[in-house]
Amino acid sequence: MALEGLAGALVIAFVAASIATVIRLAPSGSAESLTEPQKTPFLGGGAPDTHAWQRYHIRYYPMTLLFIAFEMEMMFMYPWAVVFVEEGGKAMMEMGMFLAILSVGIVYGWREGIFRWQ
Amino acid sequence: MAIAILRRLAGAAPAPAFPAIGAGMRAAADDLFLDGRLIRADSIRHARILLVAGPVREADQDDIRRLHDQMLHPRATLWWKSNPVPDFAEPATCDEDDPVAAIEAIHRALIEGARDSEPDILPNEPPNPWRGKGDYGQGGEGMMGGTPYGRPMAMTDDDLRDGLALDAYTAPFGPFLPMLPPGLKLSVTLQGDVIQTAKLLRPPSAQAEAYDGTVTALRALGRFLPILGLEAHAVRCLEAARSLSAGKPIELAKIRQFLFWSGALAAIPSGIGMVEDTDVRMRVERWLAALDESPTGGLDGSATMSPLKPARLVDLLRGREWSEAILIVNSFDTDTLISLAPVEAEDAETEGRAREDGIRMDHEGHGTHAHGATGT
Repeated sequence: MALEGLAGALVIAFVAASIATVIRLAPSGSAESLTEPQKTPFLGGGAPDTHAWQRYHIRYYPMTLLFIAFEMEMMFMYPWAVVFVEEGGKAMMEMGMFLAILSVGIVYGWREGIFRWQ
Repeated sequence: MAIAILRRLAGAAPAPAFPAIGAGMRAAADDLFLDGRLIRADSIRHARILLVAGPVREADQDDIRRLHDQMLHPRATLWWKSNPVPDFAEPATCDEDDPVAAIEAIHRALIEGARDSEPDILPNEPPNPWRGKGDYGQGGEGMMGGTPYGRPMAMTDDDLRDGLALDAYTAPFGPFLPMLPPGLKLSVTLQGDVIQTAKLLRPPSAQAEAYDGTVTALRALGRFLPILGLEAHAVRCLEAARSLSAGKPIELAKIRQFLFWSGALAAIPSGIGMVEDTDVRMRVERWLAALDESPTGGLDGSATMSPLKPARLVDLLRGREWSEAILIVNSFDTDTLISLAPVEAEDAETEGRAREDGIRMDHEGHGTHAHGATGT
C-alpha cells in the first residue's frame, strides 16, 4: 500500500517537474514582447482606423443549411432501412415525420434562393 | 558549438526579403527574386530584410517607417538605388545592378550576430489611449463602445450586395502591398470581402515599360498569374521576359501552350473591370496573343496607350469581391492604371457621391446584385 502511494507520488512529481521544465524553457510570451507597430496588421505600410473585431455576413450559410438537411436525411435512412424490415409501417410513419421536419429547412432554403444557380 | 553550427547554417539559408518598390524599379525587383539565394516575403512579418528599391516618394516615408517597425528582430534595411528616409540610423545602401551579394552579406551578419538588429523608429504606444477604461478595461462604455488596443470598434453601415447592414471595415491598403502595384494606396471600406467604397489615396509609381510588347506581356502575366495561384507559370513568364530582354531566344509558343492548358483564363470571372468594352479576361487574352506576335510587333497600341478618362479605378472596384478587385487592378499596366487613378481634390466628394449613386442603380438593374441573391 505504502509502495503504491510512493509510486503515485513519484509519477505526480515527475509530471509536475516536466511541466515546469517546459514552461521554463518555452519562449517567454512572444505576444507580450511585440511592440505596438508589430501588433498592427500588415497593410503594406498603412495602419487601420478601426479595430478588426467586427461582424460580417457568412455568405455560405444557406449552403451549409442545405447540406445538413440532406446529409441528416441520408445518415438516418441507412440504419432506418434495417429497422424498417423488422417494424414495418410504424417505422415508415416515424421516417415520414422526420422528413417532414427536415423539409421545413429545405423549404426555407428554397425561399432564400439556394436552388437558384448563378 | 552546436549553436554556432546551426547559426552558420541559418546564415547560409536563402535570405527572406520584403521589397518596397519605388518608381522605375518594378521589373528589376521582379527579376531579382528569380535568384535562388533570395526568398520574396509576401508579408513584412516573414522578412528579415526590408529591401527598399528605387526612390521613395515623400508621402510614402511614413509607410516605410511603419513597415520597418513591423518586421520582427533581427532585422535590417537595404536601400537599393534609393534615398534613405530620415530617422534610419546608419543606412546600408547599394547602387549596384545586382544587390544579391549585399543582401546575402547583411543576412549572414544579422543571423551570426555580427550586425545588430535595427531599433524601432516609431513610438511603442497605441494610436489612442484606452487601457483600464470601462467595465472590462476595453477603453469605453457599452457593447460597441471602447477602443480596444487603441482602435475604435467598427460600426454598422449599409451593404451593397444584399442589404444586410453589418460592420464596415475601413483601412488603407498599400503602397507596398504585394498584390497591388507599387505605390498604389487605396482606402477601402469592406463588408466581409465585398468592397463598398474605394478611395484613391496615392497613384501607383511610374514604371518604365519595355519597348518590346512581348516582354511587357510576359511581365504582366508574371504578376497576374500568382494571384490565380499559378506561381510556377509566373516564374516561367518572368524568366522568359528576362531572357528575351537579354536577347536570348525563347520558345514563346510553348509558354503560351502551358498557359492555355493551365486554365488561367477559365479561372477569371467574365465581365469584371469593364473599360472600353474589354474585361479582365480579354486583357489577359490580349497578353497571351502578344506572345504569338513577332517580338517587334508590340501590344495593340490603341488599347494600352489611349487616355481612359471616363473610367475610374475606384468605380471599377465598387461592389466587387476582394479577389475580383485584385484581378481588376492587376489587369492594367502601370500607365493605364495611373490614367485611371487621378488624385482628386477633397471638394470633388459631392460629385463623386452622385456618380456612385448612378452606378448603384445600374448594378441593381443586373441580376448579379439583386436583393436577396445568395451564393454569389
